[in-house]
Amino acid sequence: MRCRNVLTRIDALRTNELAAGEAQEVHEHLGKCHDCEESLNDVVALARSVRSIAIKPPKSMRASLTATDRFDVVDAGGRPIFVAFSNRGLRMIHTGSSEEEFRTMYGERFGRELVRGALPERLRRQVAAAVEGEGVDRPVVDLEGSEFEQTVLGILTRIPRGEVRTYSWVAQQAGRPKAVRAVGNICARNVVPFVVPCHRVVPAGGGVGNYAFGSEVKRALLEREGVPVDELEEMAGKGIRFIGSRTTHIFCFPTCRDARRIRGDNRVAFHDEEEATKKGFRPCKRCQPAAA
Amino acid sequence: MKNSWTGGESACLDSPEDGLAVAVHRREAGAFERLVERYESSLYNYAHGILQNTFDAQEVVQDAMVRAHRALTRQYDEERCATLALRPWLFRTTRNLCLNRRRSKTRELERPLHEFDDNRLGPFVGGAHSDLERREETELLRRALSILPVEARELITLRFMEEMSYGDIAKTVGTSEAALRGKVFRSLKLLRDALEKKGVAHAV
Repeated sequence: MRCRNVLTRIDALRTNELAAGEAQEVHEHLGKCHDCEESLNDVVALARSVRSIAIKPPKSMRASLTATDRFDVVDAGGRPIFVAFSNRGLRMIHTGSSEEEFRTMYGERFGRELVRGALPERLRRQVAAAVEGEGVDRPVVDLEGSEFEQTVLGILTRIPRGEVRTYSWVAQQAGRPKAVRAVGNICARNVVPFVVPCHRVVPAGGGVGNYAFGSEVKRALLEREGVPVDELEEMAGKGIRFIGSRTTHIFCFPTCRDARRIRGDNRVAFHDEEEATKKGFRPCKRCQPAAA
Repeated sequence: MKNSWTGGESACLDSPEDGLAVAVHRREAGAFERLVERYESSLYNYAHGILQNTFDAQEVVQDAMVRAHRALTRQYDEERCATLALRPWLFRTTRNLCLNRRRSKTRELERPLHEFDDNRLGPFVGGAHSDLERREETELLRRALSILPVEARELITLRFMEEMSYGDIAKTVGTSEAALRGKVFRSLKLLRDALEKKGVAHAV
């Protein structure tokens, strides 16, 4: 056996991983070749040094890997609502399915099991409020996802009850105006519907858009929250995106609570931001339509 | 042999899996926790060896564990779990996620290992040192390792930190044991050269 062949085998020899015949040959060579013998010593020393620089994961990692998530069932007017939660907050909400279906869904999404537990009162109140269509100011949620996803979900929680925004507006607010599709996908993936009100985001072109539980449910939800869905659709059909007030010279999204106070004869409709600014109107500070 | 996770040669260095995969498959209480406990450090160290970034390493391990749980409980039947070589399988999963992540980041220019020739390894760090010396040495070793090609870093991590058998490493990275022996040696040599350039060639 030549040096070259011996050198590539000395590490396997160190751990007895060579076949008997091969090991024998390597041993014989090492007895005759000083250089190779030294290399064996080097490898042994190296193995020891390198082992000492292995690094350990942060302690927090174990907790997040083995955390047991719990679930509870909340009654909402006779309909069961399944709620998964951790010590850090709400993790998933789902309506009207069986317990088994919910657990399967959860496992597929997060790769973890759920055990039955009691939903803490604070979270229960948030779920109840959300299902009732009330806004949840500071939802306690424990969500996974990219930074952008977290940002988008945060923006959704700030859309008030009774109002809607467009996907492009959310993308703009999140700092990535072109990521309109991405915003749509994030809304579609939202595991805590109602609490993070993804139903309050609609397409700029009119209609209520898609919803995990169907467009009809979305429409009903919005109507219950006081959004004049039919009126909005009519406006969208005419290409009207903003409403301004002749008295204040401010323009808003049509559902902005300030816009809805404008009396009939003071209302002006605009097709886009440019038209509004040309006529000397400034964007509303509350609904920030200029970022649409 | 290349992509087979079932059967194959028995590992001499590795602890037996004692039916852990099957226990997870049956959703026995505490089984998955045991799996996490047993492998999280190793997988983290391995991911860190490839990615050289603590945040990315942590994310990859979390992702790998989620996938492992899903596969063992939902995708694989009991028989497959029973014959699964769990350790290399977990490392392989982690590896794929690491490489995906690297690919999606900037492509580094790295020379593949086969461009280096074999010759004598040369002396290496070792022996008794004071604490200070040892700490410096550790730091230098870490730095030297960090500038190696990813393939070398990976093999050194698996072989010398995780003490994985050649058989299991071959299954993890998808190569033959014979080719692997050459690669491991060349990786060592690169590490050795990197240390020498930094003036840390301690004589044994």
